[in-house]
Amino acid sequence: MKENIVIIGGGIAGLEAAAQLLDLGYKPIIIEKNDHLGGHVADWNKLFPDMTPANDVVSSLVARAADANIFLNTEISFVNRLNDSYNIMLSNGISIITRIILLATGFSLFDASRKEEYGYGVYDQVITNKDLEHWFNTGDDPRIGDCAMNAVGFVHCVGSRDEKARNSQCSKVCCITAVKQAIELKQMFPESMVYCFYMDLRMFGKKFEDFYISAQRDYGIRFIRGRVSEVSENIDGRVIVKAEDTLSGKPVKVTLDLLVLMAGMVCSPDSTKVANMTSLPLDSDGFLKSRDNIADIIDSPREGIFYAGACTGPKTVPETLAEARAASLKIHLYIKGLEK
Amino acid sequence: MRERFLTGYNDFVLPFVCGMLFVIIYCLAGMIRIIMQLPVQDRKKFFLSLITPKTLIKDIKDIFLKCLIHVDLWKRNKLLGYMHSSIAFGWFMLIVVGHIEVILYTSNLGAKALYYPIFFRYFVAETESTMRGSLIFFLMDFFLLVVLSGIVLAIIKRVRSRLFGMRRTTNPSFLDLVGLYSLWSIFPLRLLAESFTADISGGSFLTKSLNYVFTEFLSNHANMLPAWWAYSCALGIFFFVLPFTRYMHIPTEILLIPLRNAGIRIVNARKGLAKAQVYACPSCGVCIDACPMGVQKGNIKDTTVYLNRQIKRNNETRIEEISDKCLLCGKCTAVCPVGVEGDKLRIAQRSIRKYSYSPDYSNIDVAAEINACNNFVSGDNNNVSSIENKKVLYFAGCMTALTPAIRKTTVSILSKAGISYSMMDKDGGICCGRPIFMAGRFDQAKQLVEKNTEIIMNSGADILLLTCPICYKIFREKYTLPGIEIIHHTEFIERLISSGRIKISKDTTRYVFHDPCELGRGCGVYEQPRKVLASAGNLVEAAKNRQESICCGGSLGSLTLGFDKRRAMTENALANLVSDDPDRIVTACPLCLDTFARYSDRPVEDISQVIDRVSVPADKKRNDN
Repeated sequence: MKENIVIIGGGIAGLEAAAQLLDLGYKPIIIEKNDHLGGHVADWNKLFPDMTPANDVVSSLVARAADANIFLNTEISFVNRLNDSYNIMLSNGISIITRIILLATGFSLFDASRKEEYGYGVYDQVITNKDLEHWFNTGDDPRIGDCAMNAVGFVHCVGSRDEKARNSQCSKVCCITAVKQAIELKQMFPESMVYCFYMDLRMFGKKFEDFYISAQRDYGIRFIRGRVSEVSENIDGRVIVKAEDTLSGKPVKVTLDLLVLMAGMVCSPDSTKVANMTSLPLDSDGFLKSRDNIADIIDSPREGIFYAGACTGPKTVPETLAEARAASLKIHLYIKGLEK
Repeated sequence: MRERFLTGYNDFVLPFVCGMLFVIIYCLAGMIRIIMQLPVQDRKKFFLSLITPKTLIKDIKDIFLKCLIHVDLWKRNKLLGYMHSSIAFGWFMLIVVGHIEVILYTSNLGAKALYYPIFFRYFVAETESTMRGSLIFFLMDFFLLVVLSGIVLAIIKRVRSRLFGMRRTTNPSFLDLVGLYSLWSIFPLRLLAESFTADISGGSFLTKSLNYVFTEFLSNHANMLPAWWAYSCALGIFFFVLPFTRYMHIPTEILLIPLRNAGIRIVNARKGLAKAQVYACPSCGVCIDACPMGVQKGNIKDTTVYLNRQIKRNNETRIEEISDKCLLCGKCTAVCPVGVEGDKLRIAQRSIRKYSYSPDYSNIDVAAEINACNNFVSGDNNNVSSIENKKVLYFAGCMTALTPAIRKTTVSILSKAGISYSMMDKDGGICCGRPIFMAGRFDQAKQLVEKNTEIIMNSGADILLLTCPICYKIFREKYTLPGIEIIHHTEFIERLISSGRIKISKDTTRYVFHDPCELGRGCGVYEQPRKVLASAGNLVEAAKNRQESICCGGSLGSLTLGFDKRRAMTENALANLVSDDPDRIVTACPLCLDTFARYSDRPVEDISQVIDRVSVPADKKRNDN
């Protein structure tokens, strides 16, 4: 079992794959650019639909993957393609020769300031879904809680399904995340009015629909179908949101204490960087291209390179974990094939 | 000189005489038609301009400089300029000197006046006394050589247009080709014909030398008549096809120049001035390289030169397609050597479209808006409020509403400068009317203009401040706001800096300024934004700037261009902007900002964002200086 397996990315996909490979008797190497493992999920507070603490998920994954070789604060400097293997040079000076690379580079959050009309970075009281989770975790954000919190709005699909933002794909998890966050805020501030501005609600997953019904029935969250047209700020710093309620066919205007933008998922620049180094193609949605989008989603077009998680497109946590398990099995069988 | 023939006539003059009479009658009829098609006031204006010495002198000067010398083309490319002016001016001088010659040496002209100046050398023989005419002989040969050199260049241009500074040229139609080849053959044939008779009627360095060199062939007078026939036929063919080819631009431009100098605008989409412009188009294709849509090959046939061709052909489907696709950036108008207004011509085509539904804005109640905007607050810099304090009404417009950073930083600048200001559309206002005007729906635009005028006139403001050049253009052109100064924020900030109301700390950031179409070509504002940026950092220029700035591709002007089609245009415009590797791209239009920010590899900002970042309120001391 001397085969080197390099896992790029120490998020949940990388950790789960490492854990599975350890169980199969391998000693994988995890390369993580941050100073901690867990990726985006580590920044989250609770996970839909059962309000599972994100920390529990991440810490159990970290514990299971603890025996792997883990390089934190490390990036890939370059990748050389050798005859039947790859030479990976790390930023800490270590070089690794391997025949197997698992890309678990994940996604980046869409930069909400690029939708300038929503005012992120311009108005104080406009934040993103990530900022809100950060506040849930740390309670450290002067924009939230210090104000009256009489009215809060959520804007769905910020940088998703939006050609003008150069992302035409659906980010999949923001609908249900908005519902989750709306419920959490409503639990903390029961007197506040919570609005969700959406164009479609895609409640595809297990118990999502129940969650959404509960948000309306049990928490009185208002769902308004219509894209927000513009956001402005009034004299006392509150934000004024204008939108069209396309179900009633009327324009709506509400003044809010806080506006949360549900920034979507885009391919992370690190994925693109590694893809360039290993000459992997990008798909038309900007994410990494699989050999086949139905049968071989975890296979790259290059021999010995595999994918797991959101580097090939937006995915939920359970989907990512399932892909990571599938990828480890695939790698195991691939190594068996090489040994013959 | 003595006449060789008693009759002074030969049948070979017929093709030329018929052709010339045809083209003169055709042009006169066309001119009368265009003048009759003008609206009554415009026609009056036109006739008045013809008897006003000032405009008349300008007319003559413009016709000489533009039609004969082609000054605009000289500015663009020396070789292109020489090619055009050698043919036009050389031919013109041949006609003038030819007439002088005829008047000097013949009497009792009569009907012979129709063709004598052209075929003079055939009908006369040189005598001893004609030696005095050697200067004229020399001039005739000289100008013939000038024209011939132009023709040679024209032939080279057809093969290698890049030598003439043109990447792409127009695809000529069949009749254009007939006209082209007959024009090219006129002058070599003239040389040949005159060389035949050079030993009889005299000549100079060109014709006489040719006659000596090819003495075997040219001295054989049996060959003489066919050469003169060929020359006359080439002229005849050229004149007969002229009204149906691009060469119609020659007579039409002579009419277009006085019409333009009289200050006439396009009213009817196909008649009057519009018609004159369409026929004045020489199909030179300068607009093809200028068009920002040209980055995609499929759009080349949608440039102004092809619009003119389709209008001549009455091809309604294509006219509609071409008119709707255009971004209305106005660059083709800026570069056109004859002054065809491609953007206005297209808006006029859009205006004749029939719609089944027309929105009515006349019932909008403006009372609430008047109330809201009559709410001036003073800036927080008390040091400067003692200086003349005009009330500023700030109309952000709908595009600025989508780029709130511009509004926020502009208000911050106003506040730093201690200006007393009020927001006209803080809570949503009425559209300025420019987008619907661009769509050719003038009645609706007028309703919006009236509503906004009522609000502004009741606001008590002295200055109307705009941060969007799209609004700025229509406010300048279509609004009458007596006593209120209309100003764009680039101009206003420049004024604040030069009057010392805000203080700028300069650093070494390299800025490039993108001239928005509506601000630069649309309103002629080029200097102020550059002055402002030069005071904040180092100003570098784009490869193509000012008049020739390239549209960002986000323009509201196009009714049909899809989002995916515009990307290549934006990337092309960005590549042009970063040619001198600036740190930041600065513009002064919310739409350009939004469009560039999407694809740019470096920060894109509005000029107000730059100035708000680097400015502080001026202190009292400074003002006392």
